[in-house]
Amino acid sequence: MASLITCPHCGVRPKEEFTIRGDASLVRPAPTASDEAWHDYVYVRANPRGRTLEHWQHVAGCRRFLVVERDTFTHEVHSVTDGAAFATENGR
Amino acid sequence: MIRDHYNRHALDEKLRGAPRPPGANHLAIGHRQAMAMVLATAGEEDAVERLLSSVTEFAVRFSAPGEWLVISENDTPEGLQRCLDALCSGRAHILDQSEARVLFRLSGPSTRRILAKGIGLDLHPIAFAAGASANALCGHIAVNLVRTGEDVFELLAPRSFAESLFDDLMTMGREYDLTAAFAA
Ligand SMILES: [Zn+2]
Repeated sequence: MASLITCPHCGVRPKEEFTIRGDASLVRPAPTASDEAWHDYVYVRANPRGRTLEHWQHVAGCRRFLVVERDTFTHEVHSVTDGAAFATENGR
Repeated sequence: MIRDHYNRHALDEKLRGAPRPPGANHLAIGHRQAMAMVLATAGEEDAVERLLSSVTEFAVRFSAPGEWLVISENDTPEGLQRCLDALCSGRAHILDQSEARVLFRLSGPSTRRILAKGIGLDLHPIAFAAGASANALCGHIAVNLVRTGEDVFELLAPRSFAESLFDDLMTMGREYDLTAAFAA
């Protein structure tokens, strides 16, 4: 587990200040999408070995949602982006 | 109701009795400050930050993007609210926090070593200079931390956690003979 996360607003912080809120690569289906699409979105998760995108919330700091790109095998953190900035960049 | 709260400090029970003379490392508990939270409306974050930094009557503490804590040693809670309402004029929401938070001022040569027992932040002046402020975790309690001088830090904690944080800080400071009293 990555133990230091660099929050774009608060600086380098220990992981204890954060709550992990799950996969950030998923895109919410349209309200009219099929039951299968919604089932996959809500319940089905991969357990990847390597780079992942996750939502981390800095609950004990700025309380912002962040998108953390980290490696589940080497524990390396590649990037930390504010959730709102990530959404704008990716046109969500 | 508000007046009753204001007249009974959250740490009255802890600091009962004749105060000991302050030692080299001292924890002063603030009372009678006015505090308010300023929340900028969407898109007005930069404008509100400029307005807040233009005034010198109160201290401004960063807590999150578009969110600050403002502390006044001289004003009343009502006075601070009026002052901030006039200053921000609709660009921000102002929430009185005077009864909701307790101010801990830690000073002395060992403050950084005391805080290192509970706070996972680099407090070297290069990383956290005088005037820097941020929300952080102290033990299990979320506080707003600010460095007001080389060896002076202030922690703002929620009132209901004040007794617990006080006990934690006194334990963290025991080996440095930390003393505690209400601020003069
Ligand atoms: Zn943060």
